[in-house]
Amino acid sequence: MNNLLSHARRARGLLLPALLVAAWEVASHQGASQAYAFVPLSVIGQGLTELIRNGDLLISTLASLQRTCIGLLIGVIAGLLVGAAMALSAIAERLLAPLYHMLRQVPILGLIPLIALWFGSQEGAKLLIVSLAAFYPMTLNTFEGFTHIDRRYREVARVLEWNTWQVFTQVLLPGALRSIANGILHALAFAWVSSVGSELFLSTGSGLGNLMMNAEAGARMEIVVIGVVCIGLMGYAMNQLFSRLTRHLLRWRDI
Amino acid sequence: MNASLDQRWLASTSHSPGALQIRELSKHYLLDGQPMEVLKGIDLRVKPGEFVSIVGASGCGKSSLLRLIAGLESDYSGDMQLDGKAITTTSLERGIVFQDHRLFPWKTVAQNIAIALKRSPLTRQEKALRVAEHIRLVNLQGFENAYPHQLSGGMAQRAAIARALITQPKLLLLDEPFGALDALTRISMQRELQRIWVQHRSTMIMVTHDVEEALYLGDRVIVMDARPGRIKYEIDVDLPHPRERHAPRLQELKEILLTELAGSDADK
Amino acid sequence: MISTASAVIGSRVSVGHRMLALTWLISPLLLLATWALVAASGHYSAQLLIPPADVWHTFKDLLHSGELLEGAAFSLRRLASGFVLGASGGLLFGAALALSKTVEVYCAPMFHVLRQVPSIALIPMFILVFGVEETFKVLLVTKAVFFPVALATSEGIKAIPRSHFEVARLYRLPRYSLLLDVVFPAAAPPILTGLRVGLTRAWMVLVAAELLAADSGLGQMIEMGRQMMRIDVVMVGVITIGLIGFVLDSSLRLLERRLFRWKAIKE
Repeated sequence: MNNLLSHARRARGLLLPALLVAAWEVASHQGASQAYAFVPLSVIGQGLTELIRNGDLLISTLASLQRTCIGLLIGVIAGLLVGAAMALSAIAERLLAPLYHMLRQVPILGLIPLIALWFGSQEGAKLLIVSLAAFYPMTLNTFEGFTHIDRRYREVARVLEWNTWQVFTQVLLPGALRSIANGILHALAFAWVSSVGSELFLSTGSGLGNLMMNAEAGARMEIVVIGVVCIGLMGYAMNQLFSRLTRHLLRWRDI
Repeated sequence: MNASLDQRWLASTSHSPGALQIRELSKHYLLDGQPMEVLKGIDLRVKPGEFVSIVGASGCGKSSLLRLIAGLESDYSGDMQLDGKAITTTSLERGIVFQDHRLFPWKTVAQNIAIALKRSPLTRQEKALRVAEHIRLVNLQGFENAYPHQLSGGMAQRAAIARALITQPKLLLLDEPFGALDALTRISMQRELQRIWVQHRSTMIMVTHDVEEALYLGDRVIVMDARPGRIKYEIDVDLPHPRERHAPRLQELKEILLTELAGSDADK
Repeated sequence: MISTASAVIGSRVSVGHRMLALTWLISPLLLLATWALVAASGHYSAQLLIPPADVWHTFKDLLHSGELLEGAAFSLRRLASGFVLGASGGLLFGAALALSKTVEVYCAPMFHVLRQVPSIALIPMFILVFGVEETFKVLLVTKAVFFPVALATSEGIKAIPRSHFEVARLYRLPRYSLLLDVVFPAAAPPILTGLRVGLTRAWMVLVAAELLAADSGLGQMIEMGRQMMRIDVVMVGVITIGLIGFVLDSSLRLLERRLFRWKAIKE
C-alpha cells in the first residue's frame, strides 16, 4: 500500500518532463522555421544510434574523461601541496596566498585565450586549464581543512609530546581529511566542466565539447542534445560515485 | 516600583482573565505505527485569574498538555473550553512562553514584541505605545533596539513574556519558562513574574520541574505522572501573594510534594 | 605620563602591523619584477611575453578610447538583465518548491535533474535555438543564476526551524506577514549565498559565451585580441574580468555582513 503510494508519487514527478518532451515533439513538427532547433525525438534516436555505432560518442566521452582525470590528478596534488604549505607555514602563506587569490579572481574559461596564445591549442593547453580548475577548490579546501582543526586535538598532541611528523599524521591529516575529500569533490566538478568547456574553445583533438561544437556548426541539434545529456549524466555519475566512495572510506568520521 | 507607570499600564488593560475547563482529555501519537498514549483522562478546571503550576517527571506529557491548550496540537479526544468556547486552534486569547525564548533573531526586541500585534486593529501609534508599555512592564527599557543575540538569557525571556502578554490574553501558558536560566536569574525572574501576574491578573498555567518555583508562584500545584500522562495529585497553596520565598508553610508543602514525586519515580 | 607611554607603544604596534601587512605584497612584486626582467632579456619574442609596462600603456589607451568601458558596459548589461531574471525566477520557484507540496511532487525531480547540466555545455544548444544575439547570452546568464538561487531558497526555507512557524501560528500572522517577517528573513542568509554563487557562475559563463560568439563585450574584446595576436589586449581584458568578478563578489559579501548583523555570534 505504502509502496504503491510512493510509486504514484514518483510517477507524478515524471508528468512535467513528459509534457515538456511532448511539447518539444509537437514543436518539431511545426514547419521548417523551428525544425532545426526542435528536432523530432526520432531524429535524436537515430543520431544516438549513429553516434554509438560509429564510436564517436564513446571516443569523445573517453577523451573528455581522460583529460578530466589527468587534470584532476595534477590539480589535486598541486592543490594539496600549496594548500598544506599555506596552512602550515606562515612564510609560505605570505608568499603564496596573494598570488593564489589574485589568479583565482579570473573566471577559468576567461584564461583560455591567454593560455591558447602561450601554449597553443593542443592537449597541453587543455590539461593546464583542467588542472587549474581543479587546483583552485583543492587548495582552498586543503587550507581550510588544516587551519580549522579543533585546538583541543593539538593540545592533546602537545600533552603527549609528539614530534612534528606524529602531529601531522595523527592529528592534522585525519582532521583535515573531510575537508580535503570535499575539495576533491568540488575539483572533480570543476575539472569536468572545464574539460568540456576547453573543448568548446580549442577545436583540435576530440571530446564531447568538440562533438557538440562540430554539431552546432552543422546545425545538428540532435547531436548537441545528446552531448548535453551525456555531459550532465557523466557529471552526476562521477559526483555520486565519488561522494559514495568518500562516505565509505571516511565512515569512521562522524558527519 | 514605579507607581505612575503601573497606573498607566493598568489603565490600558481592559481584558478579563479566562476560565479554563478540561474534561476527559486524551492524546496519543503514532510511533512506528504503534499508538503511544501521552495524555489520558485529564480533568482540569482553572478559575479566572488563578495561577496553576504543573510539576512532574520528564515524559509525563506536561508540555504536550500546554501545547494542546495553546492550540498547537490538534486531534485529541475530550473537551477543552476557554470561557465556554471550544479550543480548536491557536488564538490570541491564549498566550504561551516557551523554555527557549523563540524571539526572531532578525528582529529587535521592540519589533519582536510588536509582531504579536499584527492582527490588532490598533493604529501605528497605539501599537508603539503598547509596545513601550510592555517593555516597561518587563523592565527592558533601553533595549528596545537590541537584537536577541545581544541579550542575556533572562532578558530574552522577559522579551518573550512581553510578547506573550501584549495581546492581553485571557490565559497565559508558561512551559518551563525559566528552565534554561541560571539559579540567580531564575529567582529574580520568578519575582518579576509574580509582580506581573499580580498587576496583570491573567489566568496562568506554568509547567516546571522546579518544585520550589511551582509552590512560590502557584495558587495550586498539580503533580502529573508519566506513561500515560495523567494527573496524580493536587495541592492548594493557601498563602496570599506576594509571598515570602522561605515561608515555613511553603517548606511543609515542598516536603509533601517531593514525597509524591519520589513515589511516581519509584513506580518506573 | 603613562598614557603617552602607552600611546607610543600603541603607535609602534600599529606601525609594526602595517609593516607586516606590507609583506603580503612581496610575492606579487617579485612576480612583476621577474616578468619585467624576463621580458627585457629578449629570450622570448615580445609578441608572446610582453613587458608589464606595455600592458599598462594598452590599459590606459583602451580606457581613454572608451573601448574598455564600452566592452565592460555591454557585458555588465547582459549580466544584470540575466541576473534579475534568473534571481527573481529562482526566488519564486525555490519558495514554491519549499512551501507547496504540490509543486514539490511535480517539479522537484525535473529540477534536480536539470540542475546537473553545466551551463557551459548549454552554449552550443542555446546558440542553435536562440541564435548568437543577445537572447542567447541573457538566457544563459538567467540559467546560471536560476538554479543556485532556487536551490538555496528552497533549502533555506526548508531549514527554518519549526518553532519559528509555531510562533507565527500563535500570533496568527497573516500570510503576507508570514512570508515577509518570518520566511524570507530566516532564509535570507542562504539565499544571499545562493545569489553570490549564481553571480560568480553567471559571470564566468557570460565571459565564455562572449568569447565564443559576440560582437561586443569584454569577452569579444579578448577574442579579437587573440585573433590579432595582441597579447597586451588579451591581458588587459583578462585582468578587467578578474577585477569585475572580484568587485561583484566582494560587494555581495559586504552586503551579507551588513544585512545579517543580527546573526553575529557571541564569542
